[in-house]
Amino acid sequence: MSLYNRRDELPIPPADAETHTTVCQYCNVGCGYNVYVWPVGRMGGKKPNENAFGVDLTQPQPPLTGLSYTESMHTTVTKKDGRQYHVVVVPARDSEINRGDYSTRGGTNALTAWSETRGTRERLKYPLLRVGDEFQVVSWKTAFQVLSGVIKGVLDRYGPEELTAKAFDHGGGGGGFENNYGVGSLFFTGLGMKYVAIHNRPAYNSEVWGSRDRGVHELNYSYEDARLADTIVLWGASTFETATVFYIEHMLNNFKGATVGEKKAAFAEGEPAEPARMVVIDPRKTSSVTIPQSIDASRVLHLRPNLGTDYVLANALARIIWEKGWHDESFIQTRTDLATFEDYKRKSLKLYQPLDEVLSEAETITGISREAMEKAAAWIAKPKAGGHLRRSLIIYEKGMIWNMKNYDQIASVVQLAVLTHNIGRPGTGCGRQGGHQEGYVRPPYPGDRPPPNVDKYIEEGHGKFYWVIGTDPYLSTPNSQYFKKRIHARTQALTEALSLHHGRGGEPGDPEALVERILEALDVTDGLFMVVQDLYLTHVARDAHLVLPAAGWGESDITSINCNSRLLRLYEKFMDPPGEAKPDWWIMAQTGLAIAQRYREEGREQDAKRFEFGKNWKTPEDVFLAGAREFPDNRVSEADEATLPAECYKGIDYAFLKKVKLKGIQTPVRIDPKTGKPVGTKRRYVYRFGTPDGKFKWYGTDDWEGYPEEVAKYFEGERKSRYPFWLTTGRSQLVWQTMYHDKYLPEKMLALPLPYVEIHPEDAKRLGVKSGDLVEVYNEEGNGNFMVYVSDSVKPGLIFAIMYHQRGSANNLVSGYTDPKTTIPWYKGTRVAVRKLSNGLPDLMQSASTRPVNDFE
Amino acid sequence: MMALTRRQFVKASASGLAALGLARAGFWFAPSLPYASVKVANLANLEVGKPVYFSYPDARSQAVLVKLGTRAIGGVGPDRDVVAFSASCTHMGCPLQFKNGRFVCPCHYSMFDPAKNGEVYQGLATEFLPQIPLEVVPQSGDVFAKGVEGLIWGRVSNLLG
Repeated sequence: MSLYNRRDELPIPPADAETHTTVCQYCNVGCGYNVYVWPVGRMGGKKPNENAFGVDLTQPQPPLTGLSYTESMHTTVTKKDGRQYHVVVVPARDSEINRGDYSTRGGTNALTAWSETRGTRERLKYPLLRVGDEFQVVSWKTAFQVLSGVIKGVLDRYGPEELTAKAFDHGGGGGGFENNYGVGSLFFTGLGMKYVAIHNRPAYNSEVWGSRDRGVHELNYSYEDARLADTIVLWGASTFETATVFYIEHMLNNFKGATVGEKKAAFAEGEPAEPARMVVIDPRKTSSVTIPQSIDASRVLHLRPNLGTDYVLANALARIIWEKGWHDESFIQTRTDLATFEDYKRKSLKLYQPLDEVLSEAETITGISREAMEKAAAWIAKPKAGGHLRRSLIIYEKGMIWNMKNYDQIASVVQLAVLTHNIGRPGTGCGRQGGHQEGYVRPPYPGDRPPPNVDKYIEEGHGKFYWVIGTDPYLSTPNSQYFKKRIHARTQALTEALSLHHGRGGEPGDPEALVERILEALDVTDGLFMVVQDLYLTHVARDAHLVLPAAGWGESDITSINCNSRLLRLYEKFMDPPGEAKPDWWIMAQTGLAIAQRYREEGREQDAKRFEFGKNWKTPEDVFLAGAREFPDNRVSEADEATLPAECYKGIDYAFLKKVKLKGIQTPVRIDPKTGKPVGTKRRYVYRFGTPDGKFKWYGTDDWEGYPEEVAKYFEGERKSRYPFWLTTGRSQLVWQTMYHDKYLPEKMLALPLPYVEIHPEDAKRLGVKSGDLVEVYNEEGNGNFMVYVSDSVKPGLIFAIMYHQRGSANNLVSGYTDPKTTIPWYKGTRVAVRKLSNGLPDLMQSASTRPVNDFE
Repeated sequence: MMALTRRQFVKASASGLAALGLARAGFWFAPSLPYASVKVANLANLEVGKPVYFSYPDARSQAVLVKLGTRAIGGVGPDRDVVAFSASCTHMGCPLQFKNGRFVCPCHYSMFDPAKNGEVYQGLATEFLPQIPLEVVPQSGDVFAKGVEGLIWGRVSNLLG
């Protein structure tokens, strides 16, 4: 009767099972986990001294406080010794971040491990080379020969401008400081590449230059601040669905009043300490709104701005605060740059314009009433009884980052926080929530700012070599329908040219001759040689010439920081990678050495040396320590933490991390000038900001200019009625990113079998669709087919789509617009039409729930 | 509310094993254990949307039976709409509430669809709710619980001991 294989008994790790600590491979929260590994054929007992949990398993565990060990937390793997092992991955109770809790994504960490007997058998095991237009298994030696030959050939003949790439820059599974440093060393130190894009976007940029340019790194608060805040602001962030355990364990416990004792201990004498209020700014009524509403709606404020208008709203709130005198004048005077403040007052606060006029304009643009704006301003900044400054934690994410005018959106929010001194105090902070974890350390990017749009560069026929690492742009890049067609055409042009010289004959069998043929073909066609390096044969890999198998989470030691606390921890290796799969850092180092050898053979010693960055990298720790040299001298005072890069871990080694385990250390790490010992940073910018003079730099935002032409065109002439809906996009609680692992888990594919859209009941009625039906959503950029969820999460006239899914991507529909200041796309706003394709498919109607995910009553 | 006594449980386990005629060796897919068959309801007494709580497979495990009013996976009765599940959230074991046709966890807001094999469609839980296969005696309308398909939270085996 079960829809998938279930268990009613699980193997028990014996007391002497191998144990490791790690951190979830998925989201920004970074929950701690314990891992147990032991050979199949052995079993622990139920008494506490007979099992590695040290728990009495003869009795049922007590709810909430007991051990969570569920079916999805066990798997079996095969190691290099040819034996099978049990692997158990359970949430750790001694991790402050999650305290034994876990999310629906992290709960499947064990199931994602490579196993010959599960769907993850699809992992890439060997390098694959496209020969005769199909993939053939080759050795690493051949792979590096072809790869180094093509890269060096293109570099020597055309320069680094014809080498392009799109690569992860994240922490967590598959990323981390080690792999980032490997990628950066080859691309920047070795190749001097400018045409590199970061995994989810078309360029090499920060998503938050609007904050960093002010002297505020986006990760500045600590998880404790979510427990201490008087007001939690979620701006374009559905934290229950995308940072679930952070929301549940810390924000919601604060909202429920469970942290009032902690507040009393942390606050000033006589300062009011009450359960938090929540302000959620999101066009959708998500679960992150409706959960606290179901507890106490009087302490929840939900603002639903028109798409793209958030910075106008932020500035209007700031103006109200200014008029009411709720800003912190002495903080502004002493800690911020008064010269640039004039610009902010003029352009953002619009002090030259009467208040009523400014707010009336803001009402029209944002669709938010003045009354709601005044309430939000009060909840964020109105001092508490006794004149104590309110403590607001303002967290934003992709709703702001992937908004129209990325730079101004981010700047407007951080300036609202600084105006009200909601930074650098317990219970405050203003930063991004984060999508994934972080682990960025690389040599400097050699390109300019704003950086070039690499997607468009390749689409236009530039670049002869394209290396995609740990990302699937066929799903995740904006305007992806056109992108896919262009990449396909250009890679196919090369493939065809490889055998053209022999007519109907084959391709050169000798790798050196093949390299020569590829280079010749690249010269005479607009062909593109594409390399894809990943865990699986991803969507983009279907057009690759060379596919390289990467090691994943748990298959090599890595280190990363989480987003809510910048907590650096070691993610220990607990199993071997499949087949010949290797960590990214190793692949980058070997590619470098192969290129170096070619230069040395030509007697070009200086050129060879640039590519030997990894010649002494034997272990992941070697790479970690090499990366640390990128950071400045961190023997600085507590106040000067602001001068350090957020990730700075100089002075930390693996031995330190093995000792502190899940307790970790919060970056930036300083070496205390008095003791000479490494110390972490709980909360940033307590004393100064990250600018040369330590003062916060203000910025005057642009006036409202309407929508960019890529979207404004949909309001012209016939298009207005042809494309009557706004489309916005986002994630689902149930799955992680492109579902690269989730696609193999029946729990996930049963519940979320197809990409979906949410349609308001009124629109559904007009379109004649009901939950479960299939629709086509289309515009002049592209098309996508989706399953319908009729939902009041969206307002009439607005469609929400899951941004991508293994079976389709909403990015087909997204325009090619990017913010001219940052080259960050507006993923979350365009216009579309909808037409019904069919009623719900019978098997999906039977197995997939279409119940509303935002109704908890 | 019906509870299975320890004595009944031991008897049921023994007879289950005997019926199989072999000792268990290793793990198999659920239901793999010698569950007792226990009467938990009678069709005549069920009202749509009104849950019936009972203990199963032992006194320390709360379970819930509900007549949904619409056809469900594993449903019994003339409308194939009577289903039963473990009533412990598969996330961290909190007792679930049946509200408006589905199960909601009051602790962390996981939601499960009883018509879809206890599917998790929102929240923190990873596993679907363990469904309890039911059997109806046609003459009497008595409903019997026959096993548990999926691991009850907080246990390494659905049968304690």
